[in-house]
Amino acid sequence: MDRFKAVFFEEATTLINELERVSLLLHNNPSDSSIIEQIFRIMHTLKGNSTMFGFYRIGDFTHHFETLYDFIREDKMSVTDNVLNITFASVDHLRVLLTDVELENSVHKINHENLIRGLIEVLNGASVEGSIKTHSSDHKIEDKVSDTPTYWLKFVPEKDLVRKGTNVLFLLDDLSQLGVTYTVSNIERLPDFKKLDPADIYIHWEIYVSGNITENSIRDVFMFVEEDCELEIRKISETNLLDQDGFSTIARDISLSIDEKISKFSGLVNNSSSKNRMEEVRSKIEKANEKSIVTSKDNSISSIRVASEKLDELMSLVSELVTTQARLNLVSDQIASSELISISENIEKITRQLRDNTFSICLIPIENLLVRFQRLVRDLSTQLNKDVVFVSEGTDTELDKNIIENLADPLMHIFRNSLDHGIESGEERVKKGKPAQGKILLKAFYSGNNVIIQIRDDGKGIDPEVIRQKAISKGLITADQNLDRRQIFDLIFLPGFSTAEKVTEVSGRGVGMDVVKRQITEIRGEVEVESVINEGTTINIKLPLTLSIIDGMLVKINATHFVIPLGNVDKCFEAKHEEFVDKINDLIILDGEQVPFIYLRDEFDIKENCPQLHQVVVVKQDDRRVALSVDTIIGEYQAVLKPLGRLYKNVDVISGATILGNGEVALVVDPNRIIKEYIFNQINNEVLQ
Amino acid sequence: MSIENLNVSNSYLSFKLENETFAVTVERVHEILEIPTVTKVPKSPDFMTGVINLRGNVLPVIDTRIKFGLAKTDFTIDSCIIVLSIMMENEQITIGALVDSVQEVLELSSEKILPSPALGSKYKAEFIQGMIKNDEHFIMVLNIDEVFSINELHQMKENTSETII
Repeated sequence: MDRFKAVFFEEATTLINELERVSLLLHNNPSDSSIIEQIFRIMHTLKGNSTMFGFYRIGDFTHHFETLYDFIREDKMSVTDNVLNITFASVDHLRVLLTDVELENSVHKINHENLIRGLIEVLNGASVEGSIKTHSSDHKIEDKVSDTPTYWLKFVPEKDLVRKGTNVLFLLDDLSQLGVTYTVSNIERLPDFKKLDPADIYIHWEIYVSGNITENSIRDVFMFVEEDCELEIRKISETNLLDQDGFSTIARDISLSIDEKISKFSGLVNNSSSKNRMEEVRSKIEKANEKSIVTSKDNSISSIRVASEKLDELMSLVSELVTTQARLNLVSDQIASSELISISENIEKITRQLRDNTFSICLIPIENLLVRFQRLVRDLSTQLNKDVVFVSEGTDTELDKNIIENLADPLMHIFRNSLDHGIESGEERVKKGKPAQGKILLKAFYSGNNVIIQIRDDGKGIDPEVIRQKAISKGLITADQNLDRRQIFDLIFLPGFSTAEKVTEVSGRGVGMDVVKRQITEIRGEVEVESVINEGTTINIKLPLTLSIIDGMLVKINATHFVIPLGNVDKCFEAKHEEFVDKINDLIILDGEQVPFIYLRDEFDIKENCPQLHQVVVVKQDDRRVALSVDTIIGEYQAVLKPLGRLYKNVDVISGATILGNGEVALVVDPNRIIKEYIFNQINNEVLQ
Repeated sequence: MSIENLNVSNSYLSFKLENETFAVTVERVHEILEIPTVTKVPKSPDFMTGVINLRGNVLPVIDTRIKFGLAKTDFTIDSCIIVLSIMMENEQITIGALVDSVQEVLELSSEKILPSPALGSKYKAEFIQGMIKNDEHFIMVLNIDEVFSINELHQMKENTSETII
């Protein structure tokens, strides 16, 4: 039973998430009947499931909710702000109900009762409103009634039509494409089984078609068999007879001639009241809706849900395969058997494909985060009494699921900041000549091996001078320190720095941009701020595509192997040892260009066995090129990243480790951090001197 | 047999650092390894010898001698790594402790473990869980969570010359 309950919880969570997503759609299009229909269905399913598993509180709660949306879809009510607020509150409450089924927490209990009371109040208000609205809604439906004429045709194919190469059933099929059909087969001529020749046709048909068609379009269907059959076509009614009660009884009666049938059909039309027709139209619309839901289900079957542990497991197995592959490569090189080498190369190809494939399975679009932000913007803008619209671009950009999970918190914080401090109140905006409605944009796109996420608002922006003054007053920098624009904005990320002038309910809860930076750094990302006064603030987040495997360049310094991510590598050179020592300005000439270098042996404090000839790896950081010196370059390498663990969390320049084919551990360096740390140390040394 | 009896282990693994014998409860010992190739991580403190490959995972190795204020370990044929699981900030992590040699596994009844005596300023009392008297020798039972705790390690990093025990 517990297993079933677990399934229920999983399903319920999905349903509630879906409900939240759809409710946000409704918020944007309050009159879209298909959305209302969806909400109703979700509620209906949730109610059914929860009652089935004995979660009566959820069942009871969703029952009221379902009634509310039933009223709305029957046009007894409209989607007001009140309804939307109650919907969102209910979404949150449903989540609470899943964790606190018995409502043991008194706050939850009070909330539960309040919400149900609220729902009932809204429903009571609706019954009055409803009686007035019914009339007009009937009109609406009547407009949709556009009746189509009904044709009757009698199709008697010649006995040997099939032998002439015509499939009669295709003709009937074509006919059914024209409109709604009702086919009556006449099997009077069917002979005794023993005499039956399967290649002969013994059956003929009477077919009723209703649709936006003419007699000619029906004739077209039979164009090629006209001479081999007996065909009679008559228009028997201006309205769709097929929908009338009792139609099929008359149509099926083959003893009646068509003229007799027509007179009987006309009786049907007169009897059916317009009210009946309304019902039919309504049920037809419902059927159509059902159909559309069926098709959307069909679409969803093309993807399946997998427990994330299974993916992690798969990923780690592939990682192991990649490591073992490296080992095979090494061995096959040593043994130097051409057969073994070709096998090893083949396996390498497959491993690479498998790796890329698994890797892409673990990628999910940023869209998955969106609902939360839409919700946040909606709730916060109401709370702060600001009119803010949330726009997103490139939300199909994909990222590793682990990164996405860890991205939610910092992004939430950035959004909160923008809404609270960034975007001004409506009046203030109008005064500045901006539209009263503020805008916050989330934009995601690929950039090389990275994904960039931008959050841009059109608020008041941040004044670099204010930041500078604040940093000076907090003792983070000295008054005579000369910082460029970027360095000033970087100050925001220092611990203990807050741009908020006053602490509000929304922000200033002790979580600052330093925490955002830390969280993003933990997933190997980088964050930057750019801001123009009165035009707005942009926050750029640069993230790696994945956390687990990277393409790298394997290098060696003394006995230690290092991996430099290939995405950073620009070019490789050779240089003499003398070119690195005793240089005053740390520049080396490569390709006739002066390039600043970092002598990694000094940087990493490795003194032993210095070679005469060095290899130089030029890495790109933003727009500049920096040369890193190593002893030897070994070659390209697929590195499965392993964390170094908590003991090494203070070592920034190494972002992880990987295991080589021979079982040794190689260290994955982060060139950006090496460069930053190097510059930082240089500046500190200058200060000391 | 009750569950409690199952959980209480009175086995201790003793090991040597120079002339001193220490012991850790075998509950925390995963295995004992010969010294493989150790990769030194740049910009890490001296007592952190480096990382090794433990069946596909990266295991940090700590030079217990430096940690205990002795000279850096010179590898001998007896040198080995004790793979320990320790609690660090409420999280279980696995580390390797480099020692001069492992001695034996002692089966002891709990009354044989004496409370940690006052050892004067030379030792940090919280590192020692108790003492075992074994054939007229004293063995110090280590509280490894304290010995290898992250705060301790960071303190070492800031002030590597200072002796901890």
